[in-house]
Amino acid sequence: MRSPRTATALVLTSALAAGLLAGCANDDPAEDPSVDAEAGEDAEPEEITLSVVSLIPGSEPEAFAAFDERVAEFEEMYPYITVEGVEYEWRATTFAAQLAGGTLPDVYEIPLTDAKTLIQNGQLADLDAEFAQLDYANEFNEQLLAAGTGEDGHVYAIPAKSIYGVALHYNRDLFEQAGLDPDDPPTTWDEVAEYAAQIKRETGVAGFATMAANNTGGWQMTAATYARGGRVQEANEDGTYTATLDNDATRAHLEFLHELRWTDDAILADTTLDWGTINQAFAAGQLAMYTSGSDVLNSLMETNGLDPATYGLTAMPLEGDDAGVLVGGTLAAVNVSADDATKDAAIKWIDFWYLSTLRDEQQAVRDSQVRNEGGQGVGTPVLPIFSREQYEQELEWKADYINVPLDQMTGYTDVMFDQPVVGEPSRQTQPFYGLLDSAVQAVLTDEGVDIDALLADLNEQAQALLDSE
Amino acid sequence: MTLVRPTTSPTAAAPPDLPTASAPVARPGIRRGAGAPRDDEERGAVSDADWRRPGVRRTLRVGHAVLLLLLVVWGVGPLLLLLKFAVTPTQDILRTPLEVFPNGTTWANLDEAWNELEISRYFLNTIWVAVGAWLSQVLVAATGGYVLSVLRPRWAKPLQWAVLATLFVPAVVLLVPLYLTILDPPVGPSMLNTFWGVWLPAGASAFNVVLVARFFDSLPREVFEAARVDGAGPFRLFWSIVLPMSKPILGVVSVFAVIAAWKDFLWPLLVLPNPDLQPLSVRLPTLQTATDMGVLMAALAISTVIPVVVFLLFQRLFLRGAGLGGAVKG
Amino acid sequence: MATLVHATRPRRSPVTWARRGGLSTLVFALPLLVVFGVFSWLPIGRAIVMSFQETNLVVSEWVGLDNFRAVLDDPLLGRAVANTAWFALLALIFGYPVPLVGAVLMSTVRRMRGLYSVLAYLPVVVPPVVAVLLWKFFYDPRPEGVFNQILGWVGVGPFPWLQNQTWAMPSLVLEATWAAAGGTVIIYLAALTSVPAELYDAAEVDGASLWGKIWHVTMPHLRGVLLITFILQIIGTAQVFLEPYLFTGGGPNNATVTVLLLIYRYAFGQSLGGDYGMATALSLMLAVLLAVLSLAYFRLTRGWSTS
Repeated sequence: MRSPRTATALVLTSALAAGLLAGCANDDPAEDPSVDAEAGEDAEPEEITLSVVSLIPGSEPEAFAAFDERVAEFEEMYPYITVEGVEYEWRATTFAAQLAGGTLPDVYEIPLTDAKTLIQNGQLADLDAEFAQLDYANEFNEQLLAAGTGEDGHVYAIPAKSIYGVALHYNRDLFEQAGLDPDDPPTTWDEVAEYAAQIKRETGVAGFATMAANNTGGWQMTAATYARGGRVQEANEDGTYTATLDNDATRAHLEFLHELRWTDDAILADTTLDWGTINQAFAAGQLAMYTSGSDVLNSLMETNGLDPATYGLTAMPLEGDDAGVLVGGTLAAVNVSADDATKDAAIKWIDFWYLSTLRDEQQAVRDSQVRNEGGQGVGTPVLPIFSREQYEQELEWKADYINVPLDQMTGYTDVMFDQPVVGEPSRQTQPFYGLLDSAVQAVLTDEGVDIDALLADLNEQAQALLDSE
Repeated sequence: MTLVRPTTSPTAAAPPDLPTASAPVARPGIRRGAGAPRDDEERGAVSDADWRRPGVRRTLRVGHAVLLLLLVVWGVGPLLLLLKFAVTPTQDILRTPLEVFPNGTTWANLDEAWNELEISRYFLNTIWVAVGAWLSQVLVAATGGYVLSVLRPRWAKPLQWAVLATLFVPAVVLLVPLYLTILDPPVGPSMLNTFWGVWLPAGASAFNVVLVARFFDSLPREVFEAARVDGAGPFRLFWSIVLPMSKPILGVVSVFAVIAAWKDFLWPLLVLPNPDLQPLSVRLPTLQTATDMGVLMAALAISTVIPVVVFLLFQRLFLRGAGLGGAVKG
Repeated sequence: MATLVHATRPRRSPVTWARRGGLSTLVFALPLLVVFGVFSWLPIGRAIVMSFQETNLVVSEWVGLDNFRAVLDDPLLGRAVANTAWFALLALIFGYPVPLVGAVLMSTVRRMRGLYSVLAYLPVVVPPVVAVLLWKFFYDPRPEGVFNQILGWVGVGPFPWLQNQTWAMPSLVLEATWAAAGGTVIIYLAALTSVPAELYDAAEVDGASLWGKIWHVTMPHLRGVLLITFILQIIGTAQVFLEPYLFTGGGPNNATVTVLLLIYRYAFGQSLGGDYGMATALSLMLAVLLAVLSLAYFRLTRGWSTS
């Protein structure tokens, strides 16, 4: 009988060989955005289905209904395009898998800071040609547009929505219950601490909370650093970057959190809070104040069913020279595997869904109407994609449908255009946020933490990251 | 496919194979010893004589009572709380979780979970996933075991080694490359966002194959010979002889396949990013952020009902399969 | 016909082979071959290959041992290994002897033993996601949290549970044990009830007390099972992912990052593309470590099991 060992060897070797072959055969040539000879010049465009980002998973049914209505209107304008909405929430931890798996919709959203890297990696479709078709291509805020432009000067991602400044959100009801005046929110960090302690004392509810997980903790930490006049990284003249996590502002904010936690017991002690869960906790009345993007009210209403009457918005307290407000936003990008017909449809959708409501009176009114009827936020303060004048014009058009209590947000809207703005750190943004996550978590869970040592250690790691680029 | 075979839990162990197809462990005869036990098979260390001694009896009785109490708290406690939360208003859950319905119950949670959260859809997805995974595992294990045990071609031994070898490869090694294989299979389009991406890998369970093969080994060969003499070919033999005799082992494989599919988390998380296709285990954590605590609890409760009911209905099968391996000595 | 039985055969033509059942055998083997081939053997080979490559799914390049070096240089690796070992150790302490004691006690129960078994096994059938989300709520660090309230009845607590770097891991292990110990109990129980009655009878004839019987008859008989469950538990706990991922995401401050979580982060956790090479490198390192441990274990315990 033939030796089973030879046969075994054969089977195992073929398995290995198959593995090796597969490994080598994995070099799929990158999709070449070849010029399609039949590019969009047909008199009768072919039927095309476009998958787009709709709403965050779990949003209210009314929000979905409103989205569907707008989709119907778009499809009327362009009968050859069928739009498929895909639920989507950008999360640092799942985006990569979606990208790798090619499961992102044709049109999806990315944060401002990721665009450059994605462009460098060749993961976004080149939209330059289609972008040029927009009449208002020249009117974008240059800084924002630059974020979505590649080194070759082509546009790969278009500023789309939610250009925010980080601001302070608070629960007016809890303020009142604690004996504070809801129209007089805190304007310094000391006041924030004071009010938080008072709320905890009088109502038993946590007065303050901070995100701490999935890189959102670091995001807010960076915002607080800017607000106190510090920076987490600095560009050097020779093009390299230096990590400056151990600056005074960061230290001060960590100490602020530490005190809230261990001395006043006024902070919600949950280190798993991220952007979505802190919203949820806020809407459920489990905390009174927190910082997040200025436009988060939309989500609070659409996804968490918050009653806007209880909501208040004010500016992040800015202290120290060089204090600024962290600004970020969302760009719309198109899947790199999209062909020209898809890109064409995509730009039309981007124009309709994201931008036309800012520029075209009819669209603005229509969109606001639909949103208003669906119980969604209309008029939530955002920073302008085009210009301040355009923004104010847009607000005028929508005036009849604004359903957010703008008078409860004057703390922010009064100063929003005057605040100095600082962009998110440009290098290794997400990893930096990840490191700062640990700092926030450490401070909230370890009473005896040595903040200096912690920051020194994290800074070393941060520098290593910057150096490895 | 459960990534950490055989279950995803740390303290469970793979139940080694079942010894034979016949009724479990028939103990021969009755041996008269001191205080002849009534039931030889289930004798245990404690003899009748021991029982008669009041000291022993009392200790054991107390021990049993305490154990029973602990087990009730252990097994049923958390589930009872879950059921309670499912019908409690959210504020009550958050503020006074242990009080018994200070503000009455609310069926709205369950209603909202089923309808608005569309738990019904994810429920259905979970069933789809479970059914497909079950079919896949039964098919591969039955045919594979048949080849290895009954048909026994020349290449059976090396094949068996190749299959066994995968038992020793921890699931973690497969995670990334299997994902990439799903993204880009050797033939055909990507299996991402399709149930096939979950069904097919589930079948690659060496444990099942070995289990079934060992079982087939224990089937009496005479029956096969008789069938062959009567002119049965391999297909006939499989379908009409072997399969009907294999109900017990296929039952065990099925039960574990369904439960494993119901519990699987990481793999469907990676392979089914489209929320419409996600089973309960993947969807529930995502819904956590957008949902009221009460509704979430209701959703959790609904997700637990089927496995618990299936378990209670098929207790014997479960417990026998889960434990009979213990009869194998080192 | 007779081809269904093994042994040597002279060479045949393909037709004879097919007619003699070779084809049908192949047909029967097809599901196994395809499924294992594509979803088991192929990925294993690929894992080995990828650990020496750097790839972003579009282009791959060979980088030799770079991935392994990068993994070893990761400051988080030491933490992850330590945390994983800590989890495994705690799981052993909580989850290994307790089921044994429970099973021994259960084996002496005469009536309604089924009830005990069902109660013990019930947590095992609860989907892990449900269990974790439920326990996450139980672990609320406020005084109103379920566990804190219950402990408050006996004057203890409140405890921070998941919100404390020292408490987080034991909290995870506690839930993991709840979810899995039942399975171990059933295995032990089955082994216990398979002890031949004659052995007990013989021991009684020799005048052994109840404890004596347990120590000298029951336990040795269990040795085989105990040995196997020990190593299987180690291998299982070394790959723990679900609890850290769902409870704490690895926090607070990386107190619950395990090796699997690190692998997941390398591959799927970075917003701008995963490092599959590093992920597979670390998986292989873990696999090799487990293999070495298992071999050493079997060597060591070769003489210990009864046969």
